[in-house]
Amino acid sequence: MSEANGRTPATTLTRRGVVKMGGALFVSFALPIGDSACAAKAAVSLDPTQLASWLEIRSDDTIVMRTGRTEIGTGMSGYYPQVVAEELRVRPEVISLIMGDTDKTPDGGYSAGFISGMANVRKVAAYTYHALLGLAARQLGVPVESLTVVDGVVLGSGRKIRYGQLVQGQRLDLKIPVTGTPAKADRTKWVGVTSLDGYTVTGDPPLKPLSQCKVIGTSHPIPGIPDKVTGKTRWCCDVTVPNMLHARMIRPTTLGATLISVGEIDKKQFPTTAIVTMGNLVAVVSPSEWEAVSAAPVVAAGMKWTDWAGLPGSENVTRTLREYRWSAPPASRGKAAEVSAAMAKAAKTISASYDQPYVRHAPIGPFVAVADVRSDGGVTVWTHSAQSQGLRARLAYMLGATPEQVVVRWLDHSGQFGRTTLGGDGAEADAVILSKLTGKPVRVQWTLQEDLAWSSVSPAWVADIQAGLDAHGRVIVLRSSFYSPHMFDPRPVGALLAGMPCSTSPPGGWIATEWPYDRIQNRLEEAFGMPNLGADASSSGLRGHIMRTPGQRQQNFALEALVNEAAAAVGADPIQFRLAHTTDPRLIDILEATSKAASWEPRTSPHPKARRTGTAPLTGRGVCIIVRQNAYWAGIAEIEVTPTTGVIRVINFTIGVDPGKIINPRQLDRCMKSGVVMGLSEALKEEVTFDKGAVTSTNWSRYKILTMEETPQIKVVQISRDDKGFGGGSEAANAVGPQAVAAAFFDATGVYARRIPLTPAYVMTLLKVS
Amino acid sequence: MANELTLSVNSVKQVVSAPAEMPLLFALRNHLKLKGPRLGCGMAQCGACAVLLNGEEIRSCVTPVSYAVGKEVTTIEGLPARWATEKGLSAADAAKTLHPVQQAWIEEQVPQCGYCQSGMMIAAVDLLARIPNPSIAQIKNAFTNKPPSPHLCRCGTYSAIITAVQRAARAMQG
Repeated sequence: MSEANGRTPATTLTRRGVVKMGGALFVSFALPIGDSACAAKAAVSLDPTQLASWLEIRSDDTIVMRTGRTEIGTGMSGYYPQVVAEELRVRPEVISLIMGDTDKTPDGGYSAGFISGMANVRKVAAYTYHALLGLAARQLGVPVESLTVVDGVVLGSGRKIRYGQLVQGQRLDLKIPVTGTPAKADRTKWVGVTSLDGYTVTGDPPLKPLSQCKVIGTSHPIPGIPDKVTGKTRWCCDVTVPNMLHARMIRPTTLGATLISVGEIDKKQFPTTAIVTMGNLVAVVSPSEWEAVSAAPVVAAGMKWTDWAGLPGSENVTRTLREYRWSAPPASRGKAAEVSAAMAKAAKTISASYDQPYVRHAPIGPFVAVADVRSDGGVTVWTHSAQSQGLRARLAYMLGATPEQVVVRWLDHSGQFGRTTLGGDGAEADAVILSKLTGKPVRVQWTLQEDLAWSSVSPAWVADIQAGLDAHGRVIVLRSSFYSPHMFDPRPVGALLAGMPCSTSPPGGWIATEWPYDRIQNRLEEAFGMPNLGADASSSGLRGHIMRTPGQRQQNFALEALVNEAAAAVGADPIQFRLAHTTDPRLIDILEATSKAASWEPRTSPHPKARRTGTAPLTGRGVCIIVRQNAYWAGIAEIEVTPTTGVIRVINFTIGVDPGKIINPRQLDRCMKSGVVMGLSEALKEEVTFDKGAVTSTNWSRYKILTMEETPQIKVVQISRDDKGFGGGSEAANAVGPQAVAAAFFDATGVYARRIPLTPAYVMTLLKVS
Repeated sequence: MANELTLSVNSVKQVVSAPAEMPLLFALRNHLKLKGPRLGCGMAQCGACAVLLNGEEIRSCVTPVSYAVGKEVTTIEGLPARWATEKGLSAADAAKTLHPVQQAWIEEQVPQCGYCQSGMMIAAVDLLARIPNPSIAQIKNAFTNKPPSPHLCRCGTYSAIITAVQRAARAMQG
């Protein structure tokens, strides 16, 4: 223990009785909410400095762990127990998780931010482990140094004691040192809410070295899967509470339409249904879900809205971005004068522009929420948000309440890939407003059409990139400029339509790139931002929001495209070309391992047999890398393209990652493969379309995503390291597909694809124009 | 107008008071509290609501509840009993046996968010009843081209599903 250096919190032991909580009899180290008399009273939040707010060890040797973060489909509910089990020297199976409920978890934070969330619980577990050793030493009467722990049993000098026995009847006043504050709305701050990181556990408890890990590095199964497979999971869409009304929202006819008249409801046809409105927020509510579903289109048909046509149409997005009068870039990195001078001296320069359309998170399950706004001002919301404390802050701000008046309860739901990471944009605001207006609990179930038309959306991008090469064909200078509408607007649509207060920040630019090529030192990167398209609308138009590997995915697509083009321009193999621009051993290793797995033979692109015509499929291959959050990724696509049809089929995809220490190889394998699917979906199919007033890609035949038949054979390469900490091992798997496919298209045809998606129609256009 | 409709769901007969045109999905979820099938698109485009009707996959979000009268509806909650009956398992064995498709979904760790997976398992049971030992191409074809629509997974678990279907096929033949 490191008490000598003062960094480990002092522990004291006091005697306490058996405590009743939640109807179950158990013994624990401490109660998060003070004495037992308070236990029966619902707490609104836990004290994060109390050990039991994070971790309880029960007399039956089971362990309960609490985190404000949630399972978002990438397996975190399995990794957290692994990390805690490792430090505590127990099996992960004895650990159960409580996730995401603001009144039952201590820390808040981004659910996607697993690395920081894990660092918290790892430290808590380490503090606890050393406190337990101290307890055991006293109980067994032996020095701490002589103790070992196996599966939660402390052994020393021939004696042993279980953790459950150690804590029985005891209270350990172990203070957990933390920094941070609960999330709170603040319109002057980025994205309009502070402290979305949640609490951070501080100090420096001794941690188990990664090279000695026994649980980390194994393929522990995800605990929630059996219940999901057998139908026992209670999903967010399954929540019902007494006296609950079902609501269906009736959205304006366009993003900017305002309500003229509501019309009436035929009480004979819909006897239990009522119309509820506030500003431009309209809903039908009924105790019967089917009656609300049936009434919604009938009521909608009788409503009148103003006209609005403030969007440019999706076919004009690139032109709109090009014609926008951009002010100075709010984000820039590098030295403009040096870059200009180096570019002027370069032996060769190449430049290109790239476009990416609006795409969206597009969950299979449309968003759903239940809210109960009570007359005493208390609010309970059942949600699947990935940012419980952030959501609580936004809802409190909307209501003019304090965050402590709002309890957010989290349940499983459809994967949403970043749409709620900033605490906004779900059905929760709709449900809260309707519950307040009706005085009853209300369940709001969005429809797919509504989800695809009214949720926030990942904005379009254009990029201009220029590279200067020396006489040896090596890139010596690079300039990149990225332009996009707002991508940090998490305001809930319900609050906007109802005219309720909501909090965001002005659009800005964001350089998301983590630079992978250390031999290209001379760079200028600039990111420009503009308001949402249609920002004058009552709904604020196309509300831009981050989505999986946000910003970096789009910027990396363009940067890696130019690297591929530069390699072709100097007649270099694209992988050899990349290796020539880095000295980073991790990038070199993952590129070499991935290219070996893909049986990559060095040659220049395009393929010697590349052509643009014919009915026979052409083959091509392409590569893309990304470095993100201490993880190194490489992706290699092998495709077939048929010039006469424009159809691209991805036959094989090889993906490699070095995320530092791999926690769970099997789950990482699955996340890599599924990330490839999402990336190929973006490469080949996805584009949000809209006319002058509204989104038109509002079902799965208009917003197309990859199917099983279009999924290639996927090979996975993993490199685990004990000396590089933990890295982001899941998220960026979607980011290498689009450029690898675009490069493979060039390899097959000799034609650059500088825009995605590579739909058959666009491919035909590309091949004809050239 | 509500009707008294007698449904047989997972081998249990139950009366549902509902309009004849109400989708079966609402009867299963709201009246019978079977939460396995879930609402996705509501227009037979994604497969999240799939259930078996007389052993064949249908989309319960667009199937009127009255259409299910006189037929046998199976949701994922009923798959273990369905398998136990097919195999003639004793009550004791049945209680601890999942359907091989469910078992394979656990062993292959298929679900990520899991929202679509009830429908995916129903599609797998449907496929394996028609083709007991499907090739990868046949699995891809069944999950993509069988009307009315592909089974969609936004998390991208397709590779895991293929492996799990093949594992289940082996278990069912074994």
